[in-house]
Amino acid sequence: MSLFKNNNNAERHKALEAGQKEGKFPLGVNRVRKEYLNGERIAVDDMSLNIREHEVTAMIGPSGCGKTTILRLMAGLEFPTRGNVESFGLPIDGPAPERGLVFQAYTSFPWLTVIENVQHGVAIQGYSKAEQRERAEHYLKLVHLTDFANAYPDELSGGMKQRVAIARALAQDPKILLLDEPFGALDAQVTWEMEEMVVEICEDTNKTIVLVTHDIQEAIYLADRIIFFTRQPGRIKEDISMEFKKGRRFKKKEDLLTEPGYVEMEKHLYTLMREEIQGPLS
Amino acid sequence: MNITAKTVSSDNDNKKKPELAPLFKPPREKFLSLRGTINSTQTIFLGLIGVISLFAFWEIAHHLTPEHQQKFLPNVSQVTSKLYYLFTEKGYLVDVGKSVYRIYLSFFIACMVAIPLGVLMGSFIKMRALINPTVGGLRYLPAASFVPLLLVYLGPTDSAKMALLFLGCVFFLVALILDNIEAVPRALIEAAQTMGASRFHIVFRVTFRSAAPQILDSMRNMIAVSWTYLVIAEIVAATDGIGAVMMRGARFLHVDVIMGGILTIGVLGVLTDVTFRVAAHFLFPHTRARR
Repeated sequence: MSLFKNNNNAERHKALEAGQKEGKFPLGVNRVRKEYLNGERIAVDDMSLNIREHEVTAMIGPSGCGKTTILRLMAGLEFPTRGNVESFGLPIDGPAPERGLVFQAYTSFPWLTVIENVQHGVAIQGYSKAEQRERAEHYLKLVHLTDFANAYPDELSGGMKQRVAIARALAQDPKILLLDEPFGALDAQVTWEMEEMVVEICEDTNKTIVLVTHDIQEAIYLADRIIFFTRQPGRIKEDISMEFKKGRRFKKKEDLLTEPGYVEMEKHLYTLMREEIQGPLS
Repeated sequence: MNITAKTVSSDNDNKKKPELAPLFKPPREKFLSLRGTINSTQTIFLGLIGVISLFAFWEIAHHLTPEHQQKFLPNVSQVTSKLYYLFTEKGYLVDVGKSVYRIYLSFFIACMVAIPLGVLMGSFIKMRALINPTVGGLRYLPAASFVPLLLVYLGPTDSAKMALLFLGCVFFLVALILDNIEAVPRALIEAAQTMGASRFHIVFRVTFRSAAPQILDSMRNMIAVSWTYLVIAEIVAATDGIGAVMMRGARFLHVDVIMGGILTIGVLGVLTDVTFRVAAHFLFPHTRARR
């Protein structure tokens, strides 16, 4: 990796495409253990998990269960202590544009306007000026921010800032979108709007999405599959398919509430959560 | 469940002109209300009062001085008329120009050294480990102690004076810029990494760009320190510059010249500060939104 060159070299990209065609998993976590503080704290232990293409997978669990750790390993921002993480069969050796990440913290560049922020990510991918503009405008429209294209992030509300971050991540054309508690800092009403926007994005782009959240309703609403983590060290407690939704996405969140099977699912997840919170502290 | 809604004040609709509630008169704000509010007129007015009080204090001190010693504390008009005399008869403008030139050129060179070093150390921890212990230690050497050395090396030249001004601020500038770069949120850098940005791109177009307003602020603060070193730099074997004029004044006990020099440096310092603020306003439009 040279100092001046992007990570997105053509060879790697070709290998990824090949892996994708062969039907390899977008993300494969193989017997991963992640230690911090020289092994004093084990965030995740012996975890294996495959993320399926075009699915929304939610990772949920009590605080400190290592769900964010797994997402950061998937992004390539950190490396596992044991085991490995793969993307379409290729080992992950660092962050790359095919795995876009939206952080809980606001990460819009404050010195760029909204549209410049979105363009920035596109520009790194080596698109021409005209294409940059076109893509940026397209994704701003998708997150309903066209009217604020020329505002600076500091002039926007928290929800709008996160929409910029989502548009920016989408505009770099990732194969996988990683969302790290993206609405964690937003109030309930804005979170609700954002969740419905994510459903729209799923319909529009059919991206593979991995979502980390601590919100049970959000996980049920957005996910096709929920991975429930145990508390420290993080292991998979349950791998739950949202079969009751029968593959449908609900544009309005309240429509889901009357769906047969919803209440049972919510109750089940609350039960799991209670078990973890009240369980023996290690 | 029976949900009915009722408009709260239906009888208001009958009136043709709905009367507005009377204006609320908030309690008068005390002069020392905590944090408080201020408008632009008050800001200028209070600022002027501060400046005027300083000069009034000076004037009073002059009049309280016994008459035969008053030449050691000249009053405001004596100093300003001396300044006028210096500008018109003694070519003081050339001295001022010379000092400004020394300050700005030496500071420019200091920035050319400090900014790359600060960015390098703030971006790469191993570069920091390599450079910081040395540069950090150099901060504790008083710049004035370099005067004899610089005289031996460079003689009574312009370079010697600028070298002192340079040494006076460069090490602090490095430390400040290092702090500015390190204060850039890690998440910004990680976000750029997940976009596939190269390290080169991140250092220049994310980290440096993000810290740029704070770096300009550090520069504004350090050029003030440069001004404080001016007289020390121009004391030794200088024939021109504000400091040299002041030292000549001292030799002949011309206190009015010395105080005129102090006043000049003060005014130039304020102007420099304003220049930096105006530059920040135009260079970083995004920081305006925050105010």
